[in-house]
Amino acid sequence: MHIPDGLISPQTYLPALAVAVPLWVVAGRKLQARLGDEMLPRLAVFTALALLLSTLMLPLPGGTSGHAVGVGLLALIFGPWIAFMAYSLVLLLQAVVVGAGGITALPVNALAMGFVGAWVTVALYRSLRRLGEAPAVVIAVWFAVMVSALLLALVLGLQPSIAQSPDGSPRFFPFGPAITVPALLLPHAFIGAGEAALTLLVFRHARKRRWLEAPR
Amino acid sequence: MKHRAWGCAWLCAVVAVTLVHDPTWLGGGLAAVLLVSSHGRAALLRRAFLAVLPVLLLISIGYLVMGWITETLAWSYLLLLNLRVLLLALLTSWMVRDVDLDRALHGFPGARHWLSIVRSQVTVFRRLATEYRAAVQSRSTVPPTLGQRYRAGATLGLAALDKAMYNSQALTQGMRSRGALDD
Repeated sequence: MHIPDGLISPQTYLPALAVAVPLWVVAGRKLQARLGDEMLPRLAVFTALALLLSTLMLPLPGGTSGHAVGVGLLALIFGPWIAFMAYSLVLLLQAVVVGAGGITALPVNALAMGFVGAWVTVALYRSLRRLGEAPAVVIAVWFAVMVSALLLALVLGLQPSIAQSPDGSPRFFPFGPAITVPALLLPHAFIGAGEAALTLLVFRHARKRRWLEAPR
Repeated sequence: MKHRAWGCAWLCAVVAVTLVHDPTWLGGGLAAVLLVSSHGRAALLRRAFLAVLPVLLLISIGYLVMGWITETLAWSYLLLLNLRVLLLALLTSWMVRDVDLDRALHGFPGARHWLSIVRSQVTVFRRLATEYRAAVQSRSTVPPTLGQRYRAGATLGLAALDKAMYNSQALTQGMRSRGALDD
């Protein structure tokens, strides 16, 4: 779902960078405090898994692409701060190794998918746990995918209003929210369902293997 | 040091490109990058073009249709968008080809370690997926049903996860025992 380079304006990505940097610092400190010889390989393996999930891309109408995200899985296993950090690394690697996504769009993508996605997953999972593990994981992950998609759709949809030429033509992304919101939310309703099922499968396996690192 | 400097130069160039809104300058930038990227520039351009083609096609066709309906078509915008996105993709492809991330991260041992494990696990996952596909194809002359593929994929995925975890722990212990993580 993430936005490639060249579609969002500096008026958007520079403020997003200003918000993301302090959050990366906090997440980095939390990661440093918990990182040990047991956690590091686990985190690396799940980061690699999230990277693989997010490289299987499908172009979507409206200018972005659809794929599983993997941040819900990271959040349920390691907690929201570490998931945010790990997913930011996934986005960075996609930008500088695979050449997908983008470096200027990184703060926006990291905030919408990594930060908001992780926190929505964990908050919903904790509040819905009394319904049972499976419904809590599935609802939390699906909802987190939808919230992240909505945020990215709004960011893209605001571009024609934020950055315009003197003649009124757009300078970056050309479509408004009336197009971007349905164009991203409809496919992600299905992508989110697939991701929720996949997350439940891996989450149960991780719990059986005692790999869960997040405070319960 | 050289790789880190090139990495920083790429970062500055990418930001600069998003500040330029004149197709002539962007076209000139594209030509300049192709000129100085030395041998293999055709492959570089092809890689960048293929990476952004689906997105550019979707946006350009969508914009053309919308502009035709609302009669507000701006050809200069289409040129601007396509040139900018292609130039950014070209810069990134060039950086991916010529900058060694491992060397660029010299001085950050934690980040290098994490990066090396992630890269090695991606390779392991990809190899396992290829082996799985080959195994499925070699065992049956009839293609598996969608349900069979999902079930087999889930089983293999979890087995691959166990294997990756084992490999990763062994790698970390090996690095620890050789003092590579003593920062």
